[in-house]
Amino acid sequence: MASRRLLLELKSVAKSFGETRVLDNVDLAVEDGEFITILGPSGSGKTTILRMIGGFTMPSAGQILLDGKDISALPINRRPFNTVFQDYALFPHMTVAGNIGYGLQIRGVAKAEIKRRVADALSLVHLGQLAERYPAQLSGGQKQRVALARAIICQPRLILLDEPLAALDVELRKQMQLFLKNIQREIKTTFLFVTHDQEEAISMADRICVMNDGRIQQIGSPLDVYYRPQTEFVARFFGDNNLISGRFGPMAGDARTIDTGFGSLSCAVDGQPEMVAAAAGGSAYAVVRPESIQLAAAAAELNGCENKVSATITAVEFSGATTLVRTMPQGSDIEMRVKLPSRADGMALQIGAQVALGWRRIDSRLVPV
Amino acid sequence: MTTRIAGLPRETNQIGQTPWLLTALAYGLPVFFILIPLVSFLAYSFFWVKGTEVHYDLTLLNYIRIVTDEIYLPVLWRTCVLCLEVAALTILFGYPVAYFLAGLQGRKKYVLLMLLLVPLLMSYVIKIYAIRSILGGNGFLNRFLMATGLIQEPLTIFVFNLNAVLLALTALLIPFAVLPIFLSLERLPRNLLEASADLGASELQTFARVVLPLSLPGVIAAASFVFVLAIGDFLTPQMVGGNSGFTFGRIIYSQFGTAYNWPFGSALSVLLCVLVVIAIVIGGRFGNARGRA
Repeated sequence: MASRRLLLELKSVAKSFGETRVLDNVDLAVEDGEFITILGPSGSGKTTILRMIGGFTMPSAGQILLDGKDISALPINRRPFNTVFQDYALFPHMTVAGNIGYGLQIRGVAKAEIKRRVADALSLVHLGQLAERYPAQLSGGQKQRVALARAIICQPRLILLDEPLAALDVELRKQMQLFLKNIQREIKTTFLFVTHDQEEAISMADRICVMNDGRIQQIGSPLDVYYRPQTEFVARFFGDNNLISGRFGPMAGDARTIDTGFGSLSCAVDGQPEMVAAAAGGSAYAVVRPESIQLAAAAAELNGCENKVSATITAVEFSGATTLVRTMPQGSDIEMRVKLPSRADGMALQIGAQVALGWRRIDSRLVPV
Repeated sequence: MTTRIAGLPRETNQIGQTPWLLTALAYGLPVFFILIPLVSFLAYSFFWVKGTEVHYDLTLLNYIRIVTDEIYLPVLWRTCVLCLEVAALTILFGYPVAYFLAGLQGRKKYVLLMLLLVPLLMSYVIKIYAIRSILGGNGFLNRFLMATGLIQEPLTIFVFNLNAVLLALTALLIPFAVLPIFLSLERLPRNLLEASADLGASELQTFARVVLPLSLPGVIAAASFVFVLAIGDFLTPQMVGGNSGFTFGRIIYSQFGTAYNWPFGSALSVLLCVLVVIAIVIGGRFGNARGRA
């Protein structure tokens, strides 16, 4: 990614509510113009980060820097950020136009100007004909777009979105994801988007910050967090991943070998100096995604695979676009899941059949236990 | 699926049996204790009295007397103005209290709210005596003002007149104003306040543009509540009003008491009742229109 200007920085930020520590030593840098997603299960502290940036919660320790200046003590209404709340928080006694123009009214902008800018914002979110409706008369998706227009209109430096799509049904959520992404490209404003939905994060974000238990687990592009996890939590968080426990062997060129229950595997370790440096004999997981594994009748039919394992099929689960094949490698009790594109003939996979599994070195990574 | 849990069938049975009794009570009690007395008053207002004897033939004389006599309508008007003033004062004092209470966290909020409601458990007469001893010529208020040197002689402007009635009613009815306002403020979603601040509003701006408009239904409810309670009160004016603090409630009271003219008293009551219903309807309309928007 082209290096961009730094907008916002969290430095060793921590937050405790009484005895419970909800955020622990968080460092996060938000670049100007990016779409960054904070992803984590509920209780991971992701919303707390958003609320601290917005000014709704004060950090217990650490600094929040905007353009290099500490804004930790700045009250909510003096921060150049606007928020799209989870349940929209539209003012029920104001029309759509009134809601959207609220921020401008507060700033004392002239009436004619407010009218013009509200009209612009309404057409940006495709709600022009609903200006005089009240929030109670809107559908969930429409409320969502009003909340977005209201946040955009004051031209904030950063827009904070707190699980804004959680209340929408699946179909509408997909539409809104695309819509939000397009708006973000159009207005070129930085979006910080909090969600617990992995797919949502991957499909929308430029960068994803994965959180668990008040700590940042990994920050990286969607491809990074998906294919190159750095912690066990991240490796498990994006569904169905194969984690194979083993012990470090020696380095072999750029790769590191790991001795597992079904032989020695070769894993890529670029960008992971601690995996290069780890002492031989220590424990680690080899991680390989189920869709990265090839499945063939015999080992000779596998193409370009540094890692090969023979296994027995234990289950075949058809789930639409993909079919999940559960296998048990010989001499091991670790299940290996393989995800293949489905075919109409059911791929002639028989339970109990002997197959060869193979995957490339670059498709398997190491994470610490 | 029919999963049966022990004990449940009997309960559903009981629920299945009771509705007719509940329905009868729900309709019967109001009919018996409210509607029938009201209708009997309405009937009485068309009778007339000669000496101490009630004549049971229908007449409009009572209503004609109300309209033509120069006492009743002016007193009614002054009473209405007085009660509107009471409503305004209770809201003026009650709103800040409700706002403060609604802003508190946890147990403190409900303890203070309970304290506010304690006077409602006390005898009305005792409260009036207490207020009288504060407002009286030799009372706490006058002694305090003299002690501070603001006045030399005890003031008489708070003794046995309409001012005294106004202050006493206000003091007595403040809890009834605080409660509806408190409830409307409590129901206000916190995230609306956050959204307002997020969009750049100061606390004052948030109050003026979000909190106040959204608590208006509570204010209207409080006003109609207090107005209705104040206009029907005859005891307070009787005890702190003296000769000049004459209100409509006292006139009705005197018709049923000293004058022993039940038909005329009933006619006055019917008029008051109509007024109260109008006040409630207006309050309801206005409160709803604002709330739904």
